Amino acid sequence: MENDIALKADHIVKYFYQPEPFKVLKDLSFEVKKGEFVSLIGKSGSGKSTLLYVLSTMDTDYQGELVVNGEKLTGQSLNQLAAFRNKHIGFVFQFHYLLPEFHVLDNVMLPAMKLKKLSRAEIEAKAYDTLKLLGLADQALKQASKLSGGQQQRVAIARALINDPAVIMGDEPTGNLDSKNAEIVFDIFRQLSHERGQTIITVTHDDDFAGKSDRIIELSDGSILPAAN
Amino acid sequence: MLSINYKIAWVHLTSSLKQSIVALLGVTFGICMYVFLTSFVQGSGSVQTALAFTSMAHIHIYNDGPADNTNLVRKFYGANVLSLIRNAKVIQYVQGIKNTADIISLVRQQPEVVALASEVNIDIFFRNSANKINGTLSGVDVENENKVFGIADYMVTGKWDDLKYDPTGVIIGSGLARKLSLHIGDNINILTPDNISKTYKVIGVFQTNVTTTDNTKAYININSARQLLSENQQYLTDLQVNIRDYDATTPVVGRLAPVIPYKVERWQVANQQLAAGAILRDVMSTAVSLTILMVAGFGIYNIMSMTINQKIREIAILKAMGFSGGDVTTIFLTQAMVIGLIGGIIGLGLGFCLAEAINHIPFKVAGQKTLPMTYLPKDYVMAFIFGLVTTLIAGYLPARRASKIDPVTIIRG
Ligand SMILES: Nc1ncnc2c1ncn2[C@@H]1O[C@H](COP(=O)(O)OP(=O)(O)OP(=O)(O)O)[C@@H](O)[C@H]1O
Ligand SMILES: [Mg+2]
Repeated sequence: MENDIALKADHIVKYFYQPEPFKVLKDLSFEVKKGEFVSLIGKSGSGKSTLLYVLSTMDTDYQGELVVNGEKLTGQSLNQLAAFRNKHIGFVFQFHYLLPEFHVLDNVMLPAMKLKKLSRAEIEAKAYDTLKLLGLADQALKQASKLSGGQQQRVAIARALINDPAVIMGDEPTGNLDSKNAEIVFDIFRQLSHERGQTIITVTHDDDFAGKSDRIIELSDGSILPAAN
Repeated sequence: MLSINYKIAWVHLTSSLKQSIVALLGVTFGICMYVFLTSFVQGSGSVQTALAFTSMAHIHIYNDGPADNTNLVRKFYGANVLSLIRNAKVIQYVQGIKNTADIISLVRQQPEVVALASEVNIDIFFRNSANKINGTLSGVDVENENKVFGIADYMVTGKWDDLKYDPTGVIIGSGLARKLSLHIGDNINILTPDNISKTYKVIGVFQTNVTTTDNTKAYININSARQLLSENQQYLTDLQVNIRDYDATTPVVGRLAPVIPYKVERWQVANQQLAAGAILRDVMSTAVSLTILMVAGFGIYNIMSMTINQKIREIAILKAMGFSGGDVTTIFLTQAMVIGLIGGIIGLGLGFCLAEAINHIPFKVAGQKTLPMTYLPKDYVMAFIFGLVTTLIAGYLPARRASKIDPVTIIRG
């Protein structure tokens, strides 16, 4: 049974101290299975992004315990966490954060070049494939800053996929996309989770998008609402 | 596959080319000035030293006279007995150096020794009818004297080597020639302390630009000097020794002094102002050069800090993607290193060109034609090393700050 769990959050509590002490995440516990496609919804300010940063190991300032892929991450050093992220977690930010001075292709290749598991040629081929999947093959050699917002968002998704991470997290990854492209991304995510067994956790405001995913976790004021389905 | 960190560093450098060039120019200027200043200061130093070494060897061996032996009473009765001795007379039993063949061969055996000249120096009066000047007549071993002091280079008229075969010839200083109104071919009369008078013929005039030497010194063949004093063919008063590195006299003197029963003196002791001056000059030029390099270092520090502030979001993304703090340090330190290396190499070239240019400016003092300059590889290596160390420190501080950036704070906005 344990092996089926991709991510386990155990009594996660987080405070912000500025401008005054404020409990953002109030004792959150939940599990996400391998290959599950989970949507995280909730009102603005309910703590979705904050939770996602904790789950992605970037934020270490919390109480409780986080286990991803069977590995306990709470208490690990920053360097260990960085290596773990590189290998096992793909992240798509709320706003498309690319390195503006690099080509689209370079941006996508970056995490794989850091991982050094494949040769440069293999990485490049894989990056092309991923871009093609997202309909961006013709943009590969453009400078990242010269792309439209929606295109940049898709490049960021391609970058999150390049290392075949066990868990892919997105903070409104389709927020900047039109319904057609949002549809494409949704299909890709579902394909990744159902066919390759990768776990997807995305924050979304798109009820349609959320409704089609495997499970919805709804946050309200830092607590999980009882599941509706 | 070149590490991705270097690629990122390279993209940063080339995408904000202007900033990189400004930082690079800072290093270039610093290293250029460092090279130029040390070359110039050492150049003038070596001119001064060369001037000094026209009248002074690296090591001087001579008979310092006997110790104060006048109180013979104390020798027998000890210090408790009062004695009153007035007008004690000192008898110097030995003039000059004895056993010269043994001493010379001992000195020649020292591996550092490159030249050795025997001299017979006599304090005399130079006379041209009514004019009388107190000075030194130096009987020299013509060839070796030139090896030690390079005196042939300072000849104004006549040839130094002519002294070798001319037992009545004398080569005099330019000041002496002027004061006694002497020209080549004229006769000069000398008078020794023992009241021996002899006439020589002027066959050359030298000018070392050391005024006391030019005003009071004359050279004759060493054998003529021995003849003048009625001394044997071994007799000499001074041994002048040059070694390979004039700064390294201490070990040689340390070996010779205990076994030679005469005074063995390093030039640093004989001429303490010169030695002190050389040290002060080195300290000064190093201080100034390092200050310039430090200013260049601040320039790099500023620009690197600016770059890091501009790229703070990118650093956050890199960290979110799994780049470690060490990777971020490497990325920015690499940029500093590239700036330091390229700026350093250009700086060395420019420094050399500047030194060359200044070296051609006419400057007529003390026998110089142009401003003096040295071109020592050692200085260039030092400049390069100092430049690199400065850039490394100046780059490391901001790079370490970058490595500690918390990605969440930046990405959350
Ligand atoms: N750095 C911070 N310091 C203090 N409070 C913060 C900080 N970041 C977020 N907050 C607060 O924490 C709460 C949760 O913020 P969070 O960004 O997680 O919301 P969200 O659910 O992602 O909202 P949205 O849908 O608008 O993105 C908010 O009330 C916000 O004001
Ligand atoms: Mg949010």
